[in-house]
Amino acid sequence: MQSLADNLAHQPARGVRDRVLAQAPWGVALLVALVVHFVLGPVLGPYWSQVATQAAIAVMLAVSLNIVNGYTGQFSIGHAGFAAVGGFTGAAVSYYGALALWGGATKQEGFLVPGEWLMVGGSLLGAVLAAGLGYIVGLPALRLRGDYLAIVTLGFGEIVRVLLQISGPQLFEADDLRSSGFKQWFPPPLGGAQGFTGVPTYASLFWVGLFAALVCIVAYRIKFSSPGRALLSSREDEIAARAMGVNLARYKVRAFVLAAALAGLAGGLYAHTGVVMQPREAGFIKSFEIIIFVVLGGLGSISGVVLAAIGLTVLPEILRDPQRLIEAWGLLAAVGVLATVGGVAMRRSGSRWAPLAVGLGATALGLLAVALVASGANALMRSATGDPQANIGKYRMIFYSLMLIGAMLLRPQGLMGVREVWDHFRRARPAPGRPGGAAT
Amino acid sequence: MSDALLQVRGIGISFGGLKAVQDFSLSLPRGGLYGLIGPNGAGKTTAFNLLTGVYQAQSGTVELDGRRIERLKPHEIAHAGLSRTFQNIRLFGELSVLDNVMLACHCRGRHTLLGTVLRLSRFVRQEAAMRRRATSLLELFGLARLADEQAKSLPYGDQRRLEICRALATEPKVLLLDEPAAGMNPSEKKSLAASIRDIRDRFAMTILLIEHDMGLVMDICEQITVLDYGVTIAQGPPRQVQQDPRVIEAYLGEPAKA
Amino acid sequence: MADFLQILVTAVAVGSLYALIALGYTMVYGILKFINFAHSDVFVLGAWTGFTASTLLISRFSISGPPPLWLGPLVLVTAMVVCGLVGFTIERLAYKPLRKAPRLNVLITAIGVSLLLQNVGQLQFPIAPDLALPFGASPKRMPELLPDAALLTMSFGDNQVVIGLVDVIIVVSAITLMLALEVLVYRTRLGAAMRAVSFNTDNAALMGIPVDRVISITFVTGAMLAAAAGFLYSMKYPGLNQPAHEVWVLLGLKAFVAAVVGGIGNVRGAVLGGFLIALIEFMGQFVWARTLDQWFSTSMAPTLRDVYVFAVLIIVLLVKPTGLLGTPIREKV
Repeated sequence: MQSLADNLAHQPARGVRDRVLAQAPWGVALLVALVVHFVLGPVLGPYWSQVATQAAIAVMLAVSLNIVNGYTGQFSIGHAGFAAVGGFTGAAVSYYGALALWGGATKQEGFLVPGEWLMVGGSLLGAVLAAGLGYIVGLPALRLRGDYLAIVTLGFGEIVRVLLQISGPQLFEADDLRSSGFKQWFPPPLGGAQGFTGVPTYASLFWVGLFAALVCIVAYRIKFSSPGRALLSSREDEIAARAMGVNLARYKVRAFVLAAALAGLAGGLYAHTGVVMQPREAGFIKSFEIIIFVVLGGLGSISGVVLAAIGLTVLPEILRDPQRLIEAWGLLAAVGVLATVGGVAMRRSGSRWAPLAVGLGATALGLLAVALVASGANALMRSATGDPQANIGKYRMIFYSLMLIGAMLLRPQGLMGVREVWDHFRRARPAPGRPGGAAT
Repeated sequence: MSDALLQVRGIGISFGGLKAVQDFSLSLPRGGLYGLIGPNGAGKTTAFNLLTGVYQAQSGTVELDGRRIERLKPHEIAHAGLSRTFQNIRLFGELSVLDNVMLACHCRGRHTLLGTVLRLSRFVRQEAAMRRRATSLLELFGLARLADEQAKSLPYGDQRRLEICRALATEPKVLLLDEPAAGMNPSEKKSLAASIRDIRDRFAMTILLIEHDMGLVMDICEQITVLDYGVTIAQGPPRQVQQDPRVIEAYLGEPAKA
Repeated sequence: MADFLQILVTAVAVGSLYALIALGYTMVYGILKFINFAHSDVFVLGAWTGFTASTLLISRFSISGPPPLWLGPLVLVTAMVVCGLVGFTIERLAYKPLRKAPRLNVLITAIGVSLLLQNVGQLQFPIAPDLALPFGASPKRMPELLPDAALLTMSFGDNQVVIGLVDVIIVVSAITLMLALEVLVYRTRLGAAMRAVSFNTDNAALMGIPVDRVISITFVTGAMLAAAAGFLYSMKYPGLNQPAHEVWVLLGLKAFVAAVVGGIGNVRGAVLGGFLIALIEFMGQFVWARTLDQWFSTSMAPTLRDVYVFAVLIIVLLVKPTGLLGTPIREKV
């Protein structure tokens, strides 16, 4: 039997074509981002573009948290803390940078303007800071049993929140910035309890689309690789993983630091979506929302988590205003019925795309059902409370928490389990470690 | 016996007041196939756990190929060349059979985050090499056709063999088998015995195995160590151990007629 | 000196409440080996049930002026009973079906239960004007059940140390409950059964111990202690925040830290940890307050005391992960 080293020595060298193809996904990500920005954006209009932006950021947060909670089976519940670190870093760099460079933080119009690059730089810096903090927090907790990480990360998020609350007042004018001294910068002027406002809204569909795609590619390539198997093995059986030579402590810390960095990046972009950055962005409620995406999507499944993040970001919008969907009832019903019937027929003829068609049909019908129920519930609430704005979207956390408990009782693997969506279109085969490994 | 590949000198551990293993010594020569037997609760698995670093030995030394390993962590011991199977099967159930074996190849590779994310040449070639090696190991154990199945879906006997296969994938110098025949019927045991011998010959492997089944151990092992209440009560070739009155007493509870 | 003693009085009172909550965490962890995230919400529920019960009783019996002496104990018992029932329901519906599930699933369920309690608590169930049941959609103020009297006043020159009636009642009630628990766990057959289940659930079942019942009782006991702590807390700090407010979460977290510092799974450790954490929190604030306020223009000392607690947690995890009185758990291979 040859050793791995012998096997490697006999492995042929890779051609230029393979090497280039291996980098193709990055190009595809760029292309997707451009299409989303220039084609999808105008179609969606400003309101739904904003929803799509938030959905893309939710995808980044969920996919990054999945690296810790899904792959390694550790449980972090302070992910929002890392996102907030990146968010406030990005906000500060962008805002104060604009004040220093251009004398004001008004948004520069155009595509790829200098301000946007400042945002990217600030978000990357935020990612680095979040990674550093992740290392400090993760190192002691990850050496211990799983639930200690939960409590330490929860504490971390709350500490970030408390520290942000006592940060100094925001400096609004370029002159204030120029004349600021130690007193203004220690504690840093991050807005305190009032929050940090006025960050230019550079997080366009292009940037969030691009970074969401990049995060997904990174997460995917890690999952289907040797280090990814090491992470998954720790979730399966820590003792066996160690006995097979996996340095678990090191892998867990690396996964945690990487997840923190990607969360910081997502937070940096989030700060540029026109929100007021408040200390509570770091708190446990935000963290729980991300956890819900990951658990319901399926711990470990990238595509499942992406679907859950998008679905649960869009759902409150539907609950708030179901009218638009109800107006499109004809289209939804037609797509729903046709795709479902077609899917059933396809299954009978043995087509592997049958689940896709059934899934599409079920989604369309489900959307219609949700819209109808929400519409009825909203009308009921409005007549009961007399508030014309009342809607059941406000109570979504009750449904989410029930779904969380229900999922654990009925389908603990979540929507997808560890598998990916496309695994359902193949012959039955287990998820990770797909063959090939060349250009995926 | 300075030419021993695995040299264990007087290791021991106690949990609270219970002396689980005391003064355990063993000298396993290169290519040897030794057995470790004893009644339930005699400390056999604890001895394995001490050797593989799951527990830290409170006394004594372990030398593997001239290198002291008793203070190393479990994954470092695997790197040093000591691999094991588990009495209560510990496969990575959700992962595929192939992934289970490829994971074990992991510790002989080199991994960088950048190489993984960018799919650099070294990563892709190494991944292919792991796959090839894992596949040929699976073929050897007749598991290749199950490569894509989830490990937990395998029948019991296949799971046991997959554990051995996985342990071999770490390229060990010494292989520790913890009750490989547990739960098998006589014909399965017979084929297992053959394949353990086969592993030893084909890989020039050094093997230490724990087994309840006296017949199997007597059949294939060259030397046997008998534990009872954590104490080594006999050591020697099968025939000699079989007739040792203390062994018979430990197993049957009282001196019995042969 | 007077400042110091005054802070000490508060620390002891709050510490005894931390200890009460920590006991619930540690008992459940000792038996089921998971962090009952919903525990701190039961504590919040205790405070709000106390509020609801006392408001109802005051309006029902048209009490004006200082409330009668029986009101406080009656409300305390009501809060404990209600929360005990809630604890029982949670355990039966959410945790019991997962007894054999991976611990991660149980942890997620616990988070789900916690979220559910918090958010249901924000709902309004109008049963009477100005009254929400059982939680509240807006912050409320606890009615005064005790005269705001000083039991003991000591003078140090110009300064005074006041030991309030409420402090004494909190400490006395808490210690009474802890002693009762001590007797329950170490002196009764039921306590022996609890310890047996905690040691090894399967073996306990083989010995004929009704494991499910023992676990239920443990949950109910923990929930009742938390309810008592919640009610007593609301007597000292009558401003009741909404159930999902960060203040509650931080309180629950500190109690959990107390359980970890004392050694999770260890009943006496939880009590020790509770007092220790409160001491560190308030002493840290006392020692640092002036220094910090001199350094910074803003007054940040009260906010920072939450940070000390987590610093302690991280140090303990680094130095002695099993806590002060805990014993290591050995995983069977």
